[in-house]
Amino acid sequence: MVDTAVAIGVEKMLEVDTLTSTAVGGRGGNYLWEFHMFGTSFAAYYALFATAHMAKFGTTEEDLALVAVKNHKYGAMNPKAHFQREIKVEDVLKSRVVARPLKLYDCCPISDGAAAVILASEEKVKELKVEDPVWIEAIGFSSDTSSLSRRMDYVGLPAATQAAQMAYKIAKVGPKDIDFAEVHDCFTIAEIMAYEDLGFCKKGEGAKMIREGETYIGGRIPVNVDGGLKAKGHPLGATGCSMVYEVTKQLRNEGGRRQVPLKNYVALTHNVGGHGFYVYVMIFRR
Amino acid sequence: MAAQERPTIRSRPLTLVHEIPIARIKRFWDGLKEGKVYATKCKKCGQLYYPPQVDCFKCLGSDVEWVALSDEGVIETFTESHLKPQGFTHYEEPYIIAIARTPEGAKVMGWLEGISADKARVGLKVKITTTIKPDGYPAIVFKPAETS
Repeated sequence: MVDTAVAIGVEKMLEVDTLTSTAVGGRGGNYLWEFHMFGTSFAAYYALFATAHMAKFGTTEEDLALVAVKNHKYGAMNPKAHFQREIKVEDVLKSRVVARPLKLYDCCPISDGAAAVILASEEKVKELKVEDPVWIEAIGFSSDTSSLSRRMDYVGLPAATQAAQMAYKIAKVGPKDIDFAEVHDCFTIAEIMAYEDLGFCKKGEGAKMIREGETYIGGRIPVNVDGGLKAKGHPLGATGCSMVYEVTKQLRNEGGRRQVPLKNYVALTHNVGGHGFYVYVMIFRR
Repeated sequence: MAAQERPTIRSRPLTLVHEIPIARIKRFWDGLKEGKVYATKCKKCGQLYYPPQVDCFKCLGSDVEWVALSDEGVIETFTESHLKPQGFTHYEEPYIIAIARTPEGAKVMGWLEGISADKARVGLKVKITTTIKPDGYPAIVFKPAETS
């Protein structure tokens, strides 16, 4: 066992063209039964979730666009974001279709990026007299099948719900105690499903949260105020560490003009592998 | 950042084509040529598997029977994909990827054809068929069972 460690996340995705990147990504889904036979990209996977969510709960393309608008707003305030330009709902709606109902601005970009986290044991933190540590209160984890044929439905990620429940139990907190969250918004629908899977609202009410501005700074629970995967970018291997970076800055009140109000000094990250093959939910406290 | 600020050189291309072993699930691939979509059913505990597999993760047995699924399905979700990953760029754009539930409770992925994405909807009744595409790859194809 070590008492200090550095976790480094890094990804260079821009060296190949979009169709190659999409194929490499899509093969990371279910290869044989889905990619091989039907050409499923990750945009297509999340589009399947979006169609089902819209049919079951009345979520609209405008609701999806609102997520992109919010995350671009914060991306525009983040000098480390890939996209630093605000957009409007109509920009999203008019952007070209990628996988219906998802359009270009519903999708995270293909990005290069890196982030690192220094981890230390409680003893080491005390020994080194670290001035302002941020503590990992809980790591919740769960996994699921990669085959959409074996999912019960397409309106959420069960692994996210299970991982969140585990994390809340370990940290002895509930969704109401979370000051702000970083969630895996690889596509706009993913953020809406995350609100629900993490218990920020009831299943089916995710769209209502974004419509009512509850996930903006000043809202009930700000989400992805660094721009999220959507605007900050999603260099796969670096995304998790970049979430921890943002949470650390925010919990230390170093968020600058993107600073969220802190009540309990408790934050949550939600990171998804595949379309919910595995999900980690971490809870942090300062 | 503009390309001239970050000069690059182009690599030699890499082509990766695998011969995928299918000995234990050959019945499924043969079925596609016969117009049937096969699932497996554990002889011991009755668990239905789609996509088919010959090891039961419920009772850990490996004795399954192959059952052809009904050709009737109901669309659970779909997307019209304008994005064609490498390996699919020669297909007519766009294709509709859908998931249909069969009366047995299996959820089958397929391409929805013979209807526009505007008219497609969750709950649409479809006929489940199979075909061999001109490039030689077999596919499962859904066709609307209702006249709209």
